[in-house]
This record gives sequence, structure tokens and C-alpha cells, in this order.
Amino acid sequence: MITAFVDGPLWYFALVVFLIGVAWRLFAIFRSGSKADFSVPRRSGAVSAFMTSLRRFVPRHEMSPRIRLQVVAGYMFHLGLFALLVFAAPHVLFLQKHLLGFGWTPMPYWAFILASQIAFAGLLILWLHRLLNPVTRLISDADDYVAAGLTFFVMLTGCLALMEDFTGLRVLHRFTVELLMIYFPFSRLMHAFTFIPSRAYTGAWFGRRGVDA
Amino acid sequence: MNNNKPGRIIRCPVALYSVLMALFALMLALPFAPQAMAGDSESAAKVVNPGTELWREVRQREAPRAGATQVAGMDSGVLINIRGEQWRQFRMEQLIPAAGALMGGVLGLIVLFHLLKRGVRLEHGRCGNYLLRFKEIDRILHWYVATVFIFLALTGLILLTGRVVLIPVFGHEVFSVIASASKEGHNLFGPLFLVGLIGLLIRFVSKNLPAKGDLSWFLKAGGFVGGKHPSAGFFNAGEKMWFWLVILIGLTISATGLILEFPFFGQDRPIMELSLVLHGVGAVLLIAGVFGHVYVGTAGMEASLDSMTTGYVDVNWARQHHDQWAEACEAEGAVIAGAELAKKQRLRGTKNRVPDRPVAEEGR
Repeated sequence: MITAFVDGPLWYFALVVFLIGVAWRLFAIFRSGSKADFSVPRRSGAVSAFMTSLRRFVPRHEMSPRIRLQVVAGYMFHLGLFALLVFAAPHVLFLQKHLLGFGWTPMPYWAFILASQIAFAGLLILWLHRLLNPVTRLISDADDYVAAGLTFFVMLTGCLALMEDFTGLRVLHRFTVELLMIYFPFSRLMHAFTFIPSRAYTGAWFGRRGVDA
Repeated sequence: MNNNKPGRIIRCPVALYSVLMALFALMLALPFAPQAMAGDSESAAKVVNPGTELWREVRQREAPRAGATQVAGMDSGVLINIRGEQWRQFRMEQLIPAAGALMGGVLGLIVLFHLLKRGVRLEHGRCGNYLLRFKEIDRILHWYVATVFIFLALTGLILLTGRVVLIPVFGHEVFSVIASASKEGHNLFGPLFLVGLIGLLIRFVSKNLPAKGDLSWFLKAGGFVGGKHPSAGFFNAGEKMWFWLVILIGLTISATGLILEFPFFGQDRPIMELSLVLHGVGAVLLIAGVFGHVYVGTAGMEASLDSMTTGYVDVNWARQHHDQWAEACEAEGAVIAGAELAKKQRLRGTKNRVPDRPVAEEGR
């Protein structure tokens, strides 16, 4: 009964909340618009938007010694998670069967293990940094901890169910995924969709004024 | 004539059937004829069942006998390896009871000590001035290793003792799910522990080398013998011993764990069994040691936990437990006033804030 509920109604509910929620958040952001800028642009806004979107992948030189740990751990977590999400064999099969109708070559087992270890190490370091650094602790709120906790449990239950021997473990993983999907649009996890528009907007805004952002 | 015809027709097949059955029974009985004849004679040789011989051969009591096979791989020619049963007996009858006794004993001693001594208190209370003891990277490293270790310890204990402890509670089906999940999680997080361990070694090895005064610290049992707290530098001899235990046992656990997790490099069964024993015994020793470490770092020693949460320790704590290090820091002018530290850390209004004035002034 629980399996049927998680695989059926809850999955569709989570999917609808996720899709509509993300679309609504993005629509709200783009709809807010910006003030009209009548000054003569010093540079192309589009080029600056593109350049800033790329430039922000590397920390500014002045900041890099102080944030080296966060940058390294951040890349470890995000790249590891991306690899797990897109290239794990069970995910490719699921997407092919239930959503897209086509698939692609998944990564081998050893790569899955390596990616998950890198992602776990990165997430753990970031979480500890959030707790132990007085500044990040001060600016963190419940949303940060809930989002990190849910992401951790999604990854953990996925790895525990890796052998696919027990339905219970698979259902547990899917349940945590559905919780994350429902929570996603209302949290800072939305940065997965907004980080590029945010960088581009900042880059265009400053670029028109001749400033490297 | 007419009356006899049907009778012959019926009798003839019955007779033929009887003869055929008799021949068939005779054919089945023929192989046993020599035994039956031998059984009649007391001097006849006993005939051995070839199946018994076969199983006796493959199930050697002393050492596994390898046959010839085209299957490549270590021990692939061994049909039955009796060493597996020996390992099972060792695990069930010696390792698990000993592990339970050790961990329970250490916990019991800690509780007893705490009830009798109430831990080690600060002799002069907090003074409200602070010294930086551990940088942020050191604290992150410590809690990283601690988090991974706790996960590995829990999943490892489930795998080691689950049959005895969990099956009676949850039953076989639920335990099989828990055990499968624990195995996957344990194998996944194991290498992360090794990475953290190497980090600990790199960051702290220079402060944990033997130094003058370590022997006297041991002789005074850290202050429990003689009453006076022995002198110590950044780390006392007890902390150094714990560091090296963690490193040595941790590396042993990690190495044996890798041998068990990746059985592709020609390791045979004795090596796997030795690895399993070292892995289990080392883990249980480390878990028992961690009980003591956690106690000393929290309830067992007043104000110790600050060093691993904020990174700063009260100067009175430093003077009491690490007087040589405290003197050196004070001589360098590294003491930070509570108010200054609170501003520096921007901790006002948060639960874990460092007091901005001496606690002694607040009436303690």
C-alpha cells in the first residue's frame, strides 16, 4: 500500500508541485523586470551577461585564499551530485521509462561510487563549515539546514538502495526524492535554476556601466 | 469353443504382464545381488558409498583441497572451504561477546567514574579571556572524521552483531533490509574515513610527537596520581596517545577495509579472514576509545568542548590542562578578551555565543 502510494499519487503530486512551483518562481522573477536604463551603454549587456556567467565559476582573486575550502567542497558536492543525478544507471533507466522515452549511456558502477563519495564529502564539509564558521552560522536559517538535510538523505537512501535487492529501500529513496521535489520550489534550492539568470542580470547591469562584475 | 476364446484373450495378456514385471523386478534387483550375497558372508568387504567419499574429499577438515577448474579466480577450485565455518564460530563465540564486553565495560567505567568524580572541573572557574586553540579547518576536519566514524561504527556494529542483537527484535526480513543498507553505506563511507584520517595526520602530527614531560604525565596518570595536574604543552601525553591510536588503528581498519571491499587483487581467503579479524577488532577498540574521548571532551572535562565548537578556550582551562602552551600564548600576547572575541565572531544574540565578560563576575 505504501509502495503503491509512493510510486503513484505521491510521485505525481510531487512532480506537479515541482514543475508548477519552479515555473511560478521563475515567472515571478522575470516578471519583476528592471528599471529602464536610458544611459548610453559602455559595453554590450549581452556580452557582459555571458562573460559574468562564466567568470563567476572561478572565485575572485582577492577572495580565493579565504574561501578556498568552500569553493573546493562546493565543486565536489555539485559536480558529484550532477553526475549522480544525470548519469547513474537507475536514474537513466527511470527517466527513459517514465519521463523522456529515451536514454543515454550511464556511468559505470565504480564511477557512481566515486561520484557519490565526492558528493558526500563535499556536502559534509559545506555543512560543517556552515555550522562552525560564525558568519555562515549567523546568516543560515532553517531553510538551509532543511535543504541540506533533505539532499543528504536523498543521496544516502539512493546509495543504500544501490543493489536494488529490496523494494523497501527503493521506496524509501523515492519517498525522500518526492519530499525534496515538493520542498524545492519554496527553498533556496531554487538556485539550481536561478544562478545563471542571476549572474547574467548582474553582468548585464554592470556591463552597461563599464564595470567588470 | 466360443466360451473359451474370451478367456484365453484375457488370460494371455495377464500372464505376459506378470512375466514382464518379474523380469523388471529382477533387473532392478541385480545391482544389489553382490551386496546381498556379501551380506551373507561375515568376511565380505564393506562397500563404501562413492557419494560419501566425494563429499569427504571436497570438505576437508584440515585444509581446503583445490581441484582443477577453468574458472579463473582465487580459490575457485575449492568446492567447500571449512575455514568459513571456523571464522563463523570465531565471530559468534569470541569476537561478538568480547566486543560487547569491551564496549559495555568501557561505558560502565565511564558512568562509574562520572558518578564518583563528576568529571574534572575548572579549579578557578572561567576567567572570560580566550586563546585560539583550533583553527576552523582543524575543527571541520575533526567533525568530518567524527561524523563519518559514527556512521561507520553504527553500520559496522549492525553488520557485526545484527544477527545476535537485531534479528530477535526485528525478525529476519527487516534485518535483511537493514543489513543490506548498512553494507552499502559502510562500503561507501569507508574510503571517506581514510581521507579524513590522512588529513588528521597531516594537520596534527607535528604537535603529537613525543616531548619532554610526557613520561611524567603518564606516571601521574594525568593528575589522578599525586593530586597535582602535570605540566603539558599543546597536547598532553594522553591526547598524544589517543592521536596515535586513532592513526594506527584507523589506518589498519582502512587498509583491511579496502582489502575486503576490493577483492580483485589476488587476496586469498586467509588474507581476507585476517583482514576481517583485524578490521573488527580494531573497530571495536576504536569505538571503545571513542566513548572515552567523547566523555573527556564533553561532560568529563569542563569547558573542553569549546575548543572544537568555537575554536577558543578559556585561559583558565588552558592554564589548568596545558600550562606550557598557555604560558607561551600569553607571552606572545595571544589572549583575546571575551568582548573582543564576541565582536570578532559576531556571536551576540546566538545561542552559542562566547560570554563577553568574565563569568566569575556574573557570580559563579
